[in-house]
Amino acid sequence: MRLPKFEYLGPKTVQEACSLLAQHGDKAKVMAGGTDVLNVMKERKIRPEYLIGLRAISDLSYIKADADGIKIGALTTLTDLANSAVVKEKFPCLAEVPMKMATVQIRNMGTIGGNLCNAAPSADTAPILICLGAKAKIAGPKGERVVALEDFFTGPGKTVLGKGELLVEIQVPNQPAKTAGAYLKMSRVSVDLAIVGVGVVVTREGDSCKDIKITLGAVAPTPIRAKKAEAVVKGKKIDDALLEEAGKIASQEAKPIDDVRGSAFYRTEIVKVYTKRAIKQAMEQAK
Amino acid sequence: MTQAQQVDRKLSPAAGFWLRNREVLKKEFSVIGTRVPRIESKNKVTGEARYAADMKFPGMLYGKILRSPYAHAKIISIDTSKAEKLPGVKAVVTGKDTIGARYGLWRLREETMDEQGLALDKVRYVGDEVAAVAAIDEDTAIEALDLIDVKYDVLPALLTPEDAVKDGAPEIHEGIKNNISVNRRIEVGNVDTAWDKCDFVMSDTFKTQVVQHVPMENLASVSIFDSTGKLTVYTSTQSAYFVQCLLAMALGMKEGDIRIIRTFTGGGFGCKLELMGDAFCSALLSKVTGKPVRIAYTRRETFVNSRQKTSMKMDVKVGVKKDGKIHAVEFSTTLDGGAHHSYNVTTTMITGILGTLPYRIPNYRYNGRHVYTNLPVTGAMRGHGAMQPVFALDHMIDLIAKQIGVDPAAMRIMNATQPGDVKIPNICHVSSCGLQEAIAGSAERMNWREKYGKLPDGHGLGIGSYGFFCGALYNYFNTKRPYAECWVRVNQDGTVHIFTLMAEIGQGCDTVISMIVAEVLGVGLDAVTIKSDDTGIVTGDTGAFSSRTTMMAGNAAKAAAEDARRQLFIAAGAKLGLKVQDAFDIKDGNIFIVRTGESMTIAEAAMAHQNANKGAPVLGRGIFTPSSHLQEGTVVSPTWSFGSQVLEVKVDKETGQVSVLNSATAHDCGIALNPLAVEGQLEGSIHMALGYALTEICKFDDKGYMINANFQDYKILSALDMPPVDSIVIDTDDIHGPFGGKEAGEGLTIPTAPAIANAIYDAVGVSIKSLPITPEKILRALKEKEGK
Repeated sequence: MRLPKFEYLGPKTVQEACSLLAQHGDKAKVMAGGTDVLNVMKERKIRPEYLIGLRAISDLSYIKADADGIKIGALTTLTDLANSAVVKEKFPCLAEVPMKMATVQIRNMGTIGGNLCNAAPSADTAPILICLGAKAKIAGPKGERVVALEDFFTGPGKTVLGKGELLVEIQVPNQPAKTAGAYLKMSRVSVDLAIVGVGVVVTREGDSCKDIKITLGAVAPTPIRAKKAEAVVKGKKIDDALLEEAGKIASQEAKPIDDVRGSAFYRTEIVKVYTKRAIKQAMEQAK
Repeated sequence: MTQAQQVDRKLSPAAGFWLRNREVLKKEFSVIGTRVPRIESKNKVTGEARYAADMKFPGMLYGKILRSPYAHAKIISIDTSKAEKLPGVKAVVTGKDTIGARYGLWRLREETMDEQGLALDKVRYVGDEVAAVAAIDEDTAIEALDLIDVKYDVLPALLTPEDAVKDGAPEIHEGIKNNISVNRRIEVGNVDTAWDKCDFVMSDTFKTQVVQHVPMENLASVSIFDSTGKLTVYTSTQSAYFVQCLLAMALGMKEGDIRIIRTFTGGGFGCKLELMGDAFCSALLSKVTGKPVRIAYTRRETFVNSRQKTSMKMDVKVGVKKDGKIHAVEFSTTLDGGAHHSYNVTTTMITGILGTLPYRIPNYRYNGRHVYTNLPVTGAMRGHGAMQPVFALDHMIDLIAKQIGVDPAAMRIMNATQPGDVKIPNICHVSSCGLQEAIAGSAERMNWREKYGKLPDGHGLGIGSYGFFCGALYNYFNTKRPYAECWVRVNQDGTVHIFTLMAEIGQGCDTVISMIVAEVLGVGLDAVTIKSDDTGIVTGDTGAFSSRTTMMAGNAAKAAAEDARRQLFIAAGAKLGLKVQDAFDIKDGNIFIVRTGESMTIAEAAMAHQNANKGAPVLGRGIFTPSSHLQEGTVVSPTWSFGSQVLEVKVDKETGQVSVLNSATAHDCGIALNPLAVEGQLEGSIHMALGYALTEICKFDDKGYMINANFQDYKILSALDMPPVDSIVIDTDDIHGPFGGKEAGEGLTIPTAPAIANAIYDAVGVSIKSLPITPEKILRALKEKEGK
């Protein structure tokens, strides 16, 4: 399919991008890598008059470590995220996520900001980032604001971004000692969207789980925390029965639908199994 | 299979060969049997190759097709006036601009011809062709489609055969009662009295799904009506011949006034084997505008508007003796044909033949019926008419083997078809057959005896066996031309030019035909050039389907090369002092008398021939049309390929996910003329067939709209999902094939689905009787089993 007609705008700074967004409102769409937006445009699902390409904004692709943690520029490609030495060192569970996404070619184009702002319930980068307590830095006409990534998504394809606002940075805070995570993704073939994604980050104390966050992808309108399951595990010594219980409760927290990729029944079952396995894997890593 | 399986590619070229008949290879071929990379591969990887959608001509217009949004509706009116007024639009055509001719593949049975290029009075599936636009660019053409005003009277859509056959259901094609258009029956022995003589009888129902061929290249054509009123079409096709003949019918022209040029073709698998909308509408638009017109399908159009694989619901009853010997099989199937016949008139018959091919079945009854529905047209696809029945029967064998306590591999060897068998009298007679060796070979390679039934829980081995055509053709198409034709010209500089119409579509037939000719003429492949793309040169060849390429085009090429060689011998003999008792040989570019060693080059012999014939070149001609002593109207296949595949899987019992850990396939392809090509076909077949077994399915909503006509949601496997592929070539030296070769194109896709089902059954004890075998189906079955 061919792209419908549109005008391409190539701002050179974040401010310029925000003012173009403010000016054109719903008539404009942002392109951060193009791996999603061009496809939906070709299918005529959206027909923006303006496509605001961020490619020319040079200072949005970076991964910086500081005393608080790391800061990831929104235009950082998935490949760069996977290959980053500092991410591998500080948050190996985050560095592993891009390798479970799409293909080499798409990872070279797709960006972390694009993956998050596209706001697919199945976005692979979201669960583990939410578990890590990541924050989203947003630039806009009234200056900058920071929101917890957990509060960033409001529905399929919808985020808290207001008129003229742009996601510019993901901030991942340092984690306590003996903290590790895991992201398990169920898909039909190797190169695929998630039918279910389960992200878990635990802080370990002996054989017990001192703290835990569980985030489920592709089983609700947005990525969701499985807080009841977290409460069951938190502070407890981990054994198989507890893991079964956590999985079961997480699957009750999920609100999956039937779609072309999988049924609600299957998604519920997989949440059950993958929550269990992800906690186990994260606990192993946190030794 | 989500996690990337990091695997060592276990391709074992020479080591993997099990040469049953080594005598044959003592003939010391110089080209045949060597590993030759495809001769056109450099054109493709460098980007030199031009595909139909790359073609550009001065003044060329761009066409788009308006398609029905309804699965079943009467067309009340079509108003094209607004679209015609859009600047840049050069023509809009509808059914009224056609001659209204019906066409189809069974030309001897007019009542089966059910296609028209553009809808005249009604539409029969979502996507049916309603109108076409030619404009100065594609954007304008797309815009114009929105301006065509079509008024429909929507009819009830029949989306399943069950609904379509109900009394009172509307007729999708007028006069076809209950929408059942074809009934075929095969009877061997006496099934009715056979059940009493069986020790064990099992019945069950199996279902296969609709899938698409997904060739890498979408369909595309450029049609050019020039000022003489003759038509040239550049098109991506498996059969320039069928496109030529069907276009002649659809446009009311003489076949000879239409020239089809097959461009580089990026795969076909059965969905580029007929006249489709791209060629028909571009030709019609070119006729109206007098300009070249290009229509290139989108991926959605290739999915929905080329062809899909026929889904079947199969009721199977099998009776065996207590030792595992099959005594009787009753097999009834309903084919969901979609909106038109396409190849399904044939499919309805060959399903009954191919189902019975791998095993000896003394009492056999087959009932096949074809039902129209308001879904996209289904038809031929790689493994045509075999993948569905073999999935059912070959999985059933394992279910029975388990019940009666017989090893499934041993049960297959016991029942395997053997050389000389008459499968169905007057319809299917077997010449060479290496199936028993293939079953034993594939099982042995996978350590069957040590592993079967003894693997840890969740791990399993499964086997599947198959047989397939080597060039089947019911001549219901009523071709008057040879089934295959070839010319070989030897030039005075020693180069050799081959002219054929067999379609190179990625399967390697340009290479194997060149190898055959080079072998006969004693030249290297570098001396050979092949032209196989133009109905304006050689006219006889029905195209690349039914695994007929090597058998038919190969035999025609061999005959043509031998004819050319005879002419060279005559010319050389005059110069070299030939005696009547002398034998000639031809090798390394030289012709020589065996007794004296006197020789001359092929170039010199070709020159001598031209000098003696006022310059006329050495031109060998060959044809191949199999003669049949079998009854008229039955399928003609000179011989059949056979084989067997063993897979090892791991099933995650909590998620139902299947990982294919290893595979071995033994294929009886006669003599492997190009082993590299056989292995390539095997890898491609496993890739395609694993998708069929595990992930691929065309999904439709309740209005008949295909909801996953894209690669995001129609999942084919990637290289990351492929298991190791090990090949065992069973050489049986068939008497019919050129240099003993048989097919290696389609048969290899057949065993995988049953082997997967059987391996899963071995691994976790559940039997999944519908394809694709998704993790969800396995998980549900496991839960059901636990619940019991």
